[in-house]
Amino acid sequence: MRIKAILLVTLFLASALFGTFFRPDVRPGYGVTDIGWLSDYFSPLRNTNMDTPVYFMDSGVDGPTFLLMGGTHAREISGTTAAIVFIENVAVTKGRVIVVPFSNISAASIPDETGKSPHLIPIESRSGSRFLVYGDRRTDPLDQGIPDPEIFKHAQSDFTLDDGAESRNLNRQYPGVADGNPTQQLAYAINQLVKTENVDFNLDMHESGTPDSYIDSKGNQRSGSSLAYTLVCHPDALEIGAVAIMEIEAFYGVSVKLEESNKAFRGLSHLEIRDATGSLSFLSETPNPGQDSWRDRFDVINDPDYPLSHRAGLQLQIIRSLFGAYEMMIGETVEVENLPSYEEVMQNGIFSYLN
Amino acid sequence: MKRLLIVLLIIGVVSVGFAADGTEQGFVLEEPVAVTSAGQSPGALQFTVVAKMVKLEYTFEKLLSVETVDISQFKTLVLVVGASGKGLGAANIDIEAEILRVKSLAEAAEKSGVKVVICNLEGESRRGPSSDRIVTELAPFADAYFVKSDADQDGFFTTFSEKAGVPLATFEKTVDLKDVLAEYFGK
Repeated sequence: MRIKAILLVTLFLASALFGTFFRPDVRPGYGVTDIGWLSDYFSPLRNTNMDTPVYFMDSGVDGPTFLLMGGTHAREISGTTAAIVFIENVAVTKGRVIVVPFSNISAASIPDETGKSPHLIPIESRSGSRFLVYGDRRTDPLDQGIPDPEIFKHAQSDFTLDDGAESRNLNRQYPGVADGNPTQQLAYAINQLVKTENVDFNLDMHESGTPDSYIDSKGNQRSGSSLAYTLVCHPDALEIGAVAIMEIEAFYGVSVKLEESNKAFRGLSHLEIRDATGSLSFLSETPNPGQDSWRDRFDVINDPDYPLSHRAGLQLQIIRSLFGAYEMMIGETVEVENLPSYEEVMQNGIFSYLN
Repeated sequence: MKRLLIVLLIIGVVSVGFAADGTEQGFVLEEPVAVTSAGQSPGALQFTVVAKMVKLEYTFEKLLSVETVDISQFKTLVLVVGASGKGLGAANIDIEAEILRVKSLAEAAEKSGVKVVICNLEGESRRGPSSDRIVTELAPFADAYFVKSDADQDGFFTTFSEKAGVPLATFEKTVDLKDVLAEYFGK
């Protein structure tokens, strides 16, 4: 009886400890040589809903190390999808790629706060049915464990934002705080990964609203998002970004705007990771109709103007073009096989690249 | 490196042409060239990437100013227009200071007989109140316009060009600017 009771209590504690942790569906291909955890770089994340899998794709041939991040904002699904496609298809033949498909897995574990999109979106992959995760932009308040402050203040500067909920936005916390709140610790852990693994360059994949103009509730014409189709680069990485977007436009007809990190806007990955670690940092933005606050209804997968294939295909092409541009400017790069081009994704559909 | 050079060569080969009426009128530009941003978008840096492709002799400074350079040592001044909040923030200046800087440069260039080119390299994405204001302020000094065609869908640059009787060269894709540079600089 006592043994039974102990077993029951153990089971309850175990389920309480592990049962709430969110683990999205990722089905690695042969290119993945190892799988670790972000907590390997910062142990306080272990056994929390902030810990997230890290996929290593090592060619065994000397070359640069590239970090690919999706899911910083978990509703920005072109990034998570592109990261998963990379893990499930690509083989690295020179250098090394590290992929974190769900950088803020706590945000992925809850639905988008707007309530306009299902949390799990059913799709048909090449092996059958599976789900894409459409999460929230910020850490689950339950995982954060403390109320949002009135205003957000960046830990290393005097930079503030009026919306205190931004304290749960991973991409406001870099370079992170070791003894800070869970989202600050998450940023710190990613920064530690970059340092420990000597990451030479990195891309943080995001989405914005679409560039479509619209009529607001007062009948005024409003411009769409100016962030859509943007590659934001640390000032030291700007020339690489310029070459990359010229290639994308020349070959695939998609014009991507180049932007430089604003040094006055603190806490963003493309600025802080470079400054803190030396890794050349980029951030991409594709247009997600689900992020247009003015739309009552939208389809984040099959939108006629901004389908997921277009958005995730563009993310994959940005990766490919960055590899090429990095080689031009630095002298060597990461080499890969089976990374689909934008054109291939548009022809075959993004789901044909998911296991 | 070799692969990328090949890619860039291919970009050059596949690039479609451009429409220019400047050289037909015997208008030519000369090196050396001073390149600066007008609005602190990364367009000016993109200009230099293309300039390298045609081996243009240029000096690039994002914040080139009459206080720091004698503009008369150049033959051409290229002002790449694009207002960027991020870029202005990165440079820690506001739009008023930026307009003052580029207008002073353009005035100095005009006095020294240095040709002034206003360039929009980033297309429609750099058309907005601030960018348009910069163009309007600089227009009296322009000797030529190099403009990505989707930035001129409303004829904004065409109007300035026709009013002043100065050439306007348009191009479809950023990389096509190299054909414009080759033509105008005789490269």
